[in-house]
Amino acid sequence: METLALIETLDRDGQPRQILRVSQWPVRIGRAIDCDLVLDDPHVAAHHATLALRDDGVHVEPAASVNGVRLGRAAIAPGSTPLLPASSVMTLGATTLRVRLAGEVLAPEQRLLDLLQYERRHAVTLMGLILFAAVWQGFSLWLTTVPGGAQGPALAWNYLSAPIGLIVWCALWAIGSMLFQRRFAFWAHLYIALKWLLIAIVTEAATAQIAFALSMPSIEKLGRVVFVGAIAMMMWRHMGLLLPTRRRAVAIAIGSAVVVSSGLLLIDRGMQQQPLIGDLYLGTISLPGVRIAKTVSADAFVKSAAPLEKTLAKWAKPGDDDDDAAPGDDDD
Amino acid sequence: MLLTRLFRRRSGRLLALLLTAALNAWAGATPPGVHPPSAPASPLAKPQSAASAAEDDSAAEDSANLSASARRIYDIGRPRLLQVRTLLRDQDSQASVGSGSLVGADGLILTNYHVVSQVALEPQRYRLNFQTVDGVTGALQLVAFDVVHDLALVRMAKPPAAVAARGLFEFRPATTPLAQGERIFSLGNPLDVGFVVVEGTYNGLVERSFLPQILFSGSLNPGMSGGPVLDDKGHIVGVNVATRRDGQQISFLVPAEFAQALIARSAQAKPITGSVEAEMARQLLAHQQQLTTRFVALPWRETKHAHYSVPVPQEDFMRCWGSSNPSESKGLSFERSDCQMDTAIFINESLRTGDLAVRHEVYDGSKLGALRFAQEAGQSFRNEGMGRRTHDLSAPKCEEDFVESAGLPMRTVMCLRAYRHLPGLYDVAVLSQSVDAKTEGVQGRFDARGVSFQNAMLLASHYLQGFAWKRSP
Repeated sequence: METLALIETLDRDGQPRQILRVSQWPVRIGRAIDCDLVLDDPHVAAHHATLALRDDGVHVEPAASVNGVRLGRAAIAPGSTPLLPASSVMTLGATTLRVRLAGEVLAPEQRLLDLLQYERRHAVTLMGLILFAAVWQGFSLWLTTVPGGAQGPALAWNYLSAPIGLIVWCALWAIGSMLFQRRFAFWAHLYIALKWLLIAIVTEAATAQIAFALSMPSIEKLGRVVFVGAIAMMMWRHMGLLLPTRRRAVAIAIGSAVVVSSGLLLIDRGMQQQPLIGDLYLGTISLPGVRIAKTVSADAFVKSAAPLEKTLAKWAKPGDDDDDAAPGDDDD
Repeated sequence: MLLTRLFRRRSGRLLALLLTAALNAWAGATPPGVHPPSAPASPLAKPQSAASAAEDDSAAEDSANLSASARRIYDIGRPRLLQVRTLLRDQDSQASVGSGSLVGADGLILTNYHVVSQVALEPQRYRLNFQTVDGVTGALQLVAFDVVHDLALVRMAKPPAAVAARGLFEFRPATTPLAQGERIFSLGNPLDVGFVVVEGTYNGLVERSFLPQILFSGSLNPGMSGGPVLDDKGHIVGVNVATRRDGQQISFLVPAEFAQALIARSAQAKPITGSVEAEMARQLLAHQQQLTTRFVALPWRETKHAHYSVPVPQEDFMRCWGSSNPSESKGLSFERSDCQMDTAIFINESLRTGDLAVRHEVYDGSKLGALRFAQEAGQSFRNEGMGRRTHDLSAPKCEEDFVESAGLPMRTVMCLRAYRHLPGLYDVAVLSQSVDAKTEGVQGRFDARGVSFQNAMLLASHYLQGFAWKRSP
């Protein structure tokens, strides 16, 4: 017999609990046992609704009931018998039904987010990343620890604090994956965290060096923007593992959070007359050989500072904070 | 910093109140044998004088004479001595107290600028009041000030009828200078506890001070600010102004000549009703011009470092302190020199200006290697504070580049901040780090506070040109 439609009774998680193959119209739905689809739901009437075929397609015909029928999210008005759209979800009382009609155009097959596959695919890269991060961490520790400085446990803690933090971070995300994807995807999250953190950190370090070499502080500021962007990317990818079907919504949420918070930060820094991005001046000192930019004479340097006078004249104007800022505020 | 102005602010007043309360408590229940150290009638005084009397009769006679002369001086000063109080405009709470001396028949009073600074800067919030030794009080008006030398003239708003009868303080003629060791007497009302006379000695002018100040060996205390210091004839030789917290009986007086000049200039002036900022800026601009001219005219001192010539100022009006870390240090070893002026000009509680500072650190990073040395140098370079926007100053704005001076390439940052209420004045900081060598370097910083933009540029250029690379001998 030809299947005309499929009516699925869905559980709380949206998984089918009961499936009815429809081979003839109409289909009567209700609690009474003479219905074609019998629902065991006290909020459903004996004869709650009927699905009937007309010339233009299948229509929902609600019978008299206390709780009525909702098609999608909208309640069906009394007396109306709307056309049933493709793959529609109906709610009768507390029961959710999905109706699929024969001949519907199916959505294309979606790629499966198989976390195990994901982890296997990136296993080698992940090992590379871990190795790189370990070396990087060791190098930066060596760079910042003067001989005779931190020793023994203190040194070990300096080295291990970042990895421990990273493990905790990824474990929390893995618990999130457990919740939504039923898999403790620690390695997948570690891959994402390491990849984007390293991009952020290495970019920051590299731009600081390039900024020094070319005497262009703006490059270092660019590095800071990349840093924030990479962290935002990291968050998006983490969320992508949790909710693969909601990537777009998550992107919008993270994007607007970044825009709003950086906007507020910029406004505050502007009001404080601080540089909008980064520090007051480039704080990097590198090896003599790294410098590419030419030097200027002391006189030329001082002359180039002439425009400061104009900016400072603007900044010096007594502002709104004139009265509330107590003179007791320090100046260094 | 170490220099404490001799007047009391709100916090100080709180301390004084606490002290009074504590004394009362002691008076009520002092355990036998325990005497509060600051009790007015310390029994320690008696055995001492008894001992000295037993030792030598003539010494006793001398000290009797001395105390007699202190008493005579106080008698001369007493009718003309006042306490100058800053009160909140709308209530009788005092915000700070200092002292003053009557120098004009119309009720003109000489005191310190810093005693009246709150009224000068914020007349909408504060007002001035005086109280004489015999308890006469009345309102005061600000007439003139010399912010550079920390002096001010105020006048009684309604001079009492008997003010002329009190007589005036006279100044010691400049033709008869004091000799070091001469006994002089400071008058004032310390900590608001009562009028006192303090004996001390004149020790000439403070060495290496840009602004002349008399070094007075005597105990001055907060609240005595603006009080007169008299010679044995009762003539004013100076005005109490400051003391050193880290020393004992190291006190400073404004020489009388500046007070006389201010009186000569402004005794007839009308009370100031408008803003004092323009006049203050004018005085500070004149000061910075003098300071800059004198500073730039001085050649830099020869430095002994092997590879670098570093600009170190002459110690004409600056004082330099050096330090270094122990040679056995396994990390970065450095030598440091820190030169500062002693005299900064008081504007308000949070703003001192009109001074210069030069410091440098010479690093030897041979134990660190090139990479770690660069890291350490960068750390030190980055950590320099340039200040932030405050009530008095704008935020800093910087210019940075690689600057070369006499063969030495340096990473240089110059930051300026503008004074928000004193137009035309700036703070400038120049920070410079050599980038010529892998494991050695020099970092220098120059600071000038309260200079014109033009002089800021002049000083920065002068400073940067003091750097040089020396060929190894």
